[in-house]
Amino acid sequence: MEIRLDGLTKIFPGDPKNDIEPTTAVDNLCITIPDGHLIGLLGPSGCGKSTTLYMIAGLHEPTSGDVYFGDENVTSLPPEKRGIGLVFQNYALYPHMTIYKNIQFPLTSLKVEEEEKSYEYLREIVIQNVLKDYKELIDIILNSSIKGRISKKKASQEIALRKHLSIYVAKFIFELGLHTASDPKAVVDEAIKNSQQKQAKIVEKISAKGATLSEEEPGLLLYNGEPHLCVRKISKDEMDALIRQAAALVQIEKYLDRKPSELSGGQQQRVAIARALVKRPRVLLLDEPLSNLDARLRIQTREEIRRIQKETGITTVFVTHDQEEAMSICDEIVVMKDGEMMQAGHPQEIYRDPNCFFVAKFLGTPPINTFKGYFKNKSLYIGEEKILTSKEDIEDQEVYVGIRPEGFLMADQAPEKDKVLTLNCEQVVTQGRDLTLVCSSEYELNTPLKLIIDSDIEAKEGPIKFALRKNKVFVFDKDTEERINF
Amino acid sequence: MNKSRNYRAWLYLAPVLILMGVFTFFPLINTIVISFLRDYNVTTGANKGFTFFNYGVVLGILEKNEGSGFTDNSFISWNSPSALSNTLLITFVTVPISIIISLVIAIEINNIKVLKKFFQTVFFMPYVTNIIAVGLVFSVMFSDGGIFNRLFKLMFNSSISISEGSTSWGASMLVLCLYVIWTALPYKILIFLSGLQGIDKQYYQAAKIDGASRFKTSLRVTIPLLSPQILYITITSFIGAFKEYNAVIGLFNRSYTKDQNVHDLYTVVYYIYDKINGASFATEMQYASAAAVILFVIIMIFTLVQMRVSKKMVVY
Repeated sequence: MEIRLDGLTKIFPGDPKNDIEPTTAVDNLCITIPDGHLIGLLGPSGCGKSTTLYMIAGLHEPTSGDVYFGDENVTSLPPEKRGIGLVFQNYALYPHMTIYKNIQFPLTSLKVEEEEKSYEYLREIVIQNVLKDYKELIDIILNSSIKGRISKKKASQEIALRKHLSIYVAKFIFELGLHTASDPKAVVDEAIKNSQQKQAKIVEKISAKGATLSEEEPGLLLYNGEPHLCVRKISKDEMDALIRQAAALVQIEKYLDRKPSELSGGQQQRVAIARALVKRPRVLLLDEPLSNLDARLRIQTREEIRRIQKETGITTVFVTHDQEEAMSICDEIVVMKDGEMMQAGHPQEIYRDPNCFFVAKFLGTPPINTFKGYFKNKSLYIGEEKILTSKEDIEDQEVYVGIRPEGFLMADQAPEKDKVLTLNCEQVVTQGRDLTLVCSSEYELNTPLKLIIDSDIEAKEGPIKFALRKNKVFVFDKDTEERINF
Repeated sequence: MNKSRNYRAWLYLAPVLILMGVFTFFPLINTIVISFLRDYNVTTGANKGFTFFNYGVVLGILEKNEGSGFTDNSFISWNSPSALSNTLLITFVTVPISIIISLVIAIEINNIKVLKKFFQTVFFMPYVTNIIAVGLVFSVMFSDGGIFNRLFKLMFNSSISISEGSTSWGASMLVLCLYVIWTALPYKILIFLSGLQGIDKQYYQAAKIDGASRFKTSLRVTIPLLSPQILYITITSFIGAFKEYNAVIGLFNRSYTKDQNVHDLYTVVYYIYDKINGASFATEMQYASAAAVILFVIIMIFTLVQMRVSKKMVVY
């Protein structure tokens, strides 16, 4: 489902009595999110990214502007009618419900519209099919014993899991008592016969309603040869299947009977995602989903989110303040500042080609090194040193210069020996693959400057002359902070 | 160092310990002791030794004056309203009803946005009103010419008057229960409201996104999350209702029907009070003590049962 934000604006009203000015949290935001993409809303805290997400969810009402899902304008729809799944920052799992009940909760209110089918009839077919292989069933039941005891709960769960049945059908099968019967074959024959009788009765009931069963699709009801659309609630069997599917997707099948407080943060996170996904939403929204996890789990979970998103193909919006997180998993990122979109595009493109000083500073670890500089005679100077020459016609002016940490070369390796930048190296940090030099300069805007160079180069503390890679140097207008191409 | 600190700690605790010892612990133990003493005399402390006789008298099994053929049925009786049956009735009618009503009111006050503070104040007003004053207002409203009976006569052509001389046990008990429920509401609403304010708004947002109706959200999300407060209120109001006494005084200032003989609105505490304070002051303390011990045991059993049940239901 494509999401389109059209001039979305949110102004939180002020309080004139207490001299509180109205706050513009989101200002005229226009974004189009293509179907099936994972998009990251990225920005420092207070930039309006969560507010944007909540407006897409329908929990905040926009002051002006519209939200479209596909061609449908959903701006005035309440959240429950938008078909969204939302994962909250602190998960908001219901603490008094088991994981199973938590995932089930959205389904209990869900209504689906589809062609009318007889699920009773389908159930009998399933039972008859499963019972054909009764020897395997007996094995499953016997193998499920814990310390020699067979419990109904555990055995049914095992049957459900192994034979892909709903827990209710599994319980029914367990209750036949196959594992204790002296002649299981007779029990199975009896059960199949009962099931067939039940099936016959269901068929009778269906024809009494004036419908017939479709011959092509099992269980489908035909009225005068035509399928009939109906709106209905989801049956317990279907719910169970959906819950188990969602749990399997996020790999928490083992924990369905536990309470949220008995799970770790990462597991709770998965449950929250399962709960958001179980009703097959059109759009999945994630509000800083990784901020409550520790560093290792964060990396693991963000890859997990990427995998789940790829598997389901759901359009996903992901809010984060961590640029590394956004860059590593998103198809596209939107960098926001003060409620405005600064730049949008593929993460690598934005990194390679930032359109303003803010975006350049926000993306990248270690952050970009910034200097005061100026243009004179089409050449870029930092201090006294001429570092680059432009072919374009650029008037003399003062500018901000940003140089990516990987944009530095040792001056003796550079082709043009006259264009160098001298920095005072204060510390050399060895990081195996490469070296990080912590430097300072008279003209720096951020401290400390951090440069990454190849580990084969021997660097010593003290002044070092660097040549620069032109594509890693960005120049910005001093007043508008916009990018100057040179 | 350690010893002197200990000494000072005891010094600071002394006023409370002494007061509690004199007014709580000593009476508590003494009550239990007295309840087992035969023919105890309050003024002299004279008695005829250990016995279960007092319990027999209170429970209406033994005759107070042996050979008189008269057993006192005012505490417990199988065929007429008695102190115990009235107390149980008041407890099991008023506690659940008042909890449900206050829960609904608290949830609704919490849901509204405008006038929230106003309604909070309105529903808290009865709490700061004198209970006897409320009782007087109730007794006027439900008297023969009172507003309720005029309305009742108009609508049903009958009355539930509680004026002296024209009352029945049923009418009196109905009004008593209404009165108890009314006075019980404000405190419960206050506790529930403070509990509701502690519930994270995100649960409601999650429920909203999950498409749960308001009723379903209240039932499946709000009430379970409020379970610690509900448990607290349930236990304290059960105890409070078992001790009900001032409602009867506030509303009727009597416990007798027109024939002045049958204690039809007795409660357990009223019974105890009558036994201590009656004409037979000096000689009936042991019966009051026995009744108090019985009440204590009943309350303890109920509280234990509630704690047991709550282990499964309450989420902290």
